[in-house]
Amino acid sequence: MSTDLLIAIIVTVVGASTPILIAALGELVVEKSGVLNLGVEGMMLIGAITAFLVTFFTGNHYLAILVAAAAGVASSLIFGFLTLSLSANQTATGLALTIFGTGFSALAGQGYSARPVTLLGPLFPAELASHPIWRVLFGYSALVYFAFALVIGVWWFLKRSRAGLILRAVGENDLSAHSIGYSVIGVRYMAVMFGGAMAGIAGACFPLLLTPQWAERMTGGRGWIAVALVVFASWKPFRLLAGAYLFGLVMTMELYAKASGGPLSAIPAELWAAMPYLATVVVLVLISIRRDASTNAPACLGKPFLPAN
Amino acid sequence: MMQFRLEKRREPSKAMLYGTPIVAVLLTMIVGAILFSLIGFDGVGAVREIFITPFTNTYKWQDLGVKAAPLIIIGVGLSIAYRANVWNIGAEGQYVVGGLAATGVALATYQMTGWWILPLMILAGMAGGALYGAIPALLRTRLGVNEILTSLMLTYVSVQAIYYLVRAPWKDPMGMGFPQTRRFAADALLPNILPGTIVHAGVPIAIIVALVAWFVMSRSVFGYQMRVVGAAPHAARYGGFSENRTIWLAFLVSGALAGLAGALEVSGPFQRMVPGFPTNYGFTAIIVAFLGRLDPLGVIFGGLVIAVTFVGGEIAQTSIGLSNSATGVFQAMMLFFLLAGDLLVRYRIRRVTPQAEARA
Amino acid sequence: MTLSRRSMLKAGVAAAALPLLGSRAFAQTEPLKVGFMLIGTVNDNGWNFGHATGAKYMKDQLGDLVAEPTIVENVPEGPDCERVLRELAQSGHKLIFATSFGYGDYVIKVAQQFPDVRFEHATGYQRSDNVGTYNARFYEGRAVCGTIAGHLSQTGKAGYIGSFPIPEVVMGVNAFVLAARKINPEFTITPVYISTWNDPAKEADAARAMIDQGIDIIAQHTDGPAALQVAEERGIVGGFGQGADMSAFAPNAQLTSIIDNWGPHYASAAQAVIDGTWVSQDVWPGIKEGEVEIGAYGPKVTEEVKAAAEAVKNGQADGSLHIFTGPINDHTGTERVAAGVTLTDAELLSMDWYVEGVIPPA
Repeated sequence: MSTDLLIAIIVTVVGASTPILIAALGELVVEKSGVLNLGVEGMMLIGAITAFLVTFFTGNHYLAILVAAAAGVASSLIFGFLTLSLSANQTATGLALTIFGTGFSALAGQGYSARPVTLLGPLFPAELASHPIWRVLFGYSALVYFAFALVIGVWWFLKRSRAGLILRAVGENDLSAHSIGYSVIGVRYMAVMFGGAMAGIAGACFPLLLTPQWAERMTGGRGWIAVALVVFASWKPFRLLAGAYLFGLVMTMELYAKASGGPLSAIPAELWAAMPYLATVVVLVLISIRRDASTNAPACLGKPFLPAN
Repeated sequence: MMQFRLEKRREPSKAMLYGTPIVAVLLTMIVGAILFSLIGFDGVGAVREIFITPFTNTYKWQDLGVKAAPLIIIGVGLSIAYRANVWNIGAEGQYVVGGLAATGVALATYQMTGWWILPLMILAGMAGGALYGAIPALLRTRLGVNEILTSLMLTYVSVQAIYYLVRAPWKDPMGMGFPQTRRFAADALLPNILPGTIVHAGVPIAIIVALVAWFVMSRSVFGYQMRVVGAAPHAARYGGFSENRTIWLAFLVSGALAGLAGALEVSGPFQRMVPGFPTNYGFTAIIVAFLGRLDPLGVIFGGLVIAVTFVGGEIAQTSIGLSNSATGVFQAMMLFFLLAGDLLVRYRIRRVTPQAEARA
Repeated sequence: MTLSRRSMLKAGVAAAALPLLGSRAFAQTEPLKVGFMLIGTVNDNGWNFGHATGAKYMKDQLGDLVAEPTIVENVPEGPDCERVLRELAQSGHKLIFATSFGYGDYVIKVAQQFPDVRFEHATGYQRSDNVGTYNARFYEGRAVCGTIAGHLSQTGKAGYIGSFPIPEVVMGVNAFVLAARKINPEFTITPVYISTWNDPAKEADAARAMIDQGIDIIAQHTDGPAALQVAEERGIVGGFGQGADMSAFAPNAQLTSIIDNWGPHYASAAQAVIDGTWVSQDVWPGIKEGEVEIGAYGPKVTEEVKAAAEAVKNGQADGSLHIFTGPINDHTGTERVAAGVTLTDAELLSMDWYVEGVIPPA
């Protein structure tokens, strides 16, 4: 394999991995607070259509990313209000949010699918990325670097900050956290809103980073891959980074293998497509066998907070 | 944040239990009409076409029955599992594997005739669904792996299995190369029960499943165990009910019912396996189970309501040109209202001010 | 019978609107209602957009003779489509177009219940007294594209993004490379199947994977402009619009486009129903009839190449050229079609082998 091809593959993998990485980091924080939001796919679609429309009308990509984040927050608040304020079932509410996001984005995007926008350009000046080797480091748009920074930020927040400690306490044992005076619901609201913002930005990656257009259901199930990824990474940000790139590699290598016509193209497309999910189940089993890691799953995940009166 | 306080009811409110789904549907109609009018659609027309027109002729009643049947069968299984606090959200995968198992039987017996073929397909479908449901059950009971995540992941794997099978080993030799199996032989097809209609045997089966499940859940030790383990796991342990046993039962029952629905769908409306077989019945049935308040009889209601929105959504497309995505928005809205109303069943809301009035 | 099936509501409205005419008289002058059932959304800028455009053309041509066409979107290939078909038939539509292959079983079934309604099934093969089938010879357009690719490609390698390896797609790949190899005998094409009709991000990544491995021409059989946008962004030789003109997405990279022009067929079928002359048949028109159109050529297509492309187009229009005339070898080099022999339509419609020059997927 030539260096050029290797570099090209890396660049494509980075692109494919970025939205699932961002969405999964948001969901990781949500789950660490003890909430399971299965509406990621729906919030991503809302982010995608918002980012597309803002770019289409203003041409300002950074504004588009901000508005997509805000739209993600707004949609996550539907989920938050129902599950946190009204203690509705999280699984059902998350699924309803995905149905809503799919329908709403399609409705909002009617008539815009034949309209092109432009991709968000590279963050650094082109001279820095002129050599192929430097392209691997400096050739991406801001969204890619944002995703990297987010990994470090989420890690620092959860491990090192006081607020992160409280968030984890709320996810591990909501009743204890409540009894020592923390607002369980308040913390979870913040986490859910953060997850919504990240899902919105992840959705914005589709028209701004991957394919500059709007198409209904253009996220193609990657919100569910993000949910899988959080579990795959056993709720650890750096493992999540590695997992996102592994999933991105699997999704992308399929296409490179087929385009090359080489021996790898003999693997059925369906097996490639099933691989992220199979890998997640396998990893779930592995971390459960190694007891130490399994404790990393938030104890309160998916359960409503119902303090005794 | 609003200053409300939740006060747990001693008994779930019966009035709220049965009242809130109806209120949710009514609210959806009203808010939907207003919202859609505000964004420039014919809001009142949309509500009329989606919620009222499906009831106006007998053809549509048949459609409702046929559409609701698989939702009810899967929803009943899920309501039993959820009652036991076992979160099987992979019913779609179990439905798919059930359909594949039945298809396997139909293709293997393609050259044969006999009354036994269809029952065998149905049994294979139930076994397939139960086996696929056994994977998350095994992982949960043996290794403590979260069943929500495993059952969800396995759904996506099962869909790829269909794509592979209909594209390669099971492809119809006469199908012009299209990815689908052959059309099943006559003895592998689910019969219509009313001549001249489209109502197939799956419709009465769905009603029977719901009635049997209701009877079992409310009258038998099994049902008691499921409910107690779900409601009070600690008490159940002292009472000698094994939590692992409950998880197994919940997954096997809900998996087998999802598999049954898969077998009925593939032998009835589909009549062959196609890539479009996964129609989200398994996910929609989660909504149905909640609409039905996790009660097998309520699930019949829930299945019908959801069927109305599907059938009505298509009518709205043909009659007033309302787009398909609008139906999704209506469904989500209804579910949001319903989930919000859930609270009122278990809790009273008291405003935290002196001399608060109990609002319920 | 037909009147009684219509809803009471509609009859009431009709009577109220035209109090002087009885409902019987109204029924006779009533415009023909035509229904269209689509697998996706009319906004897909590809396959479904093409059918919706055709529906509009029919209305423009026939004016008051037909009602505003009814279009039902996102109908899955399964029992749901049976319900939609019945809904359309019951609501007074006398001509119904089902525009995806997987509708076939259900069209036949519903057509039996509504003998006075005419059905037409696109890309299908099952017919009955009131069910006809129609398709378009897209491979003729592929041959024009292949000719341009043979002239312009510098690497001699093209990629072809498909959804599933169905005969329609295989036929397109083969026609493309047969035409290209008439110009450049070393030309090869690599089909990549992505198992979905609508995942633009995956299409874009497939295009990137191809370009990174030396492919400088991309054709696609999936809906949407994602691959063309990548071609534009990467500055390769180019690609082709599929189903509609996509130059808005790739002003430099779109060499030309294959435009699905269903309108004339829809208008003539509706006219035949109105005149009472409609009969069930299998029609497969192409460039000659104007059902397959070649769009405007892009800026990279030189006058010389344009002339070569036009020659292939015109040759197919006047019948002097059929791209599937032998000698044709399969991808292993074995002769499959002898010199002078042309594949029959039936052989084309069940094509499951690749010609020489295709690097076949496993």
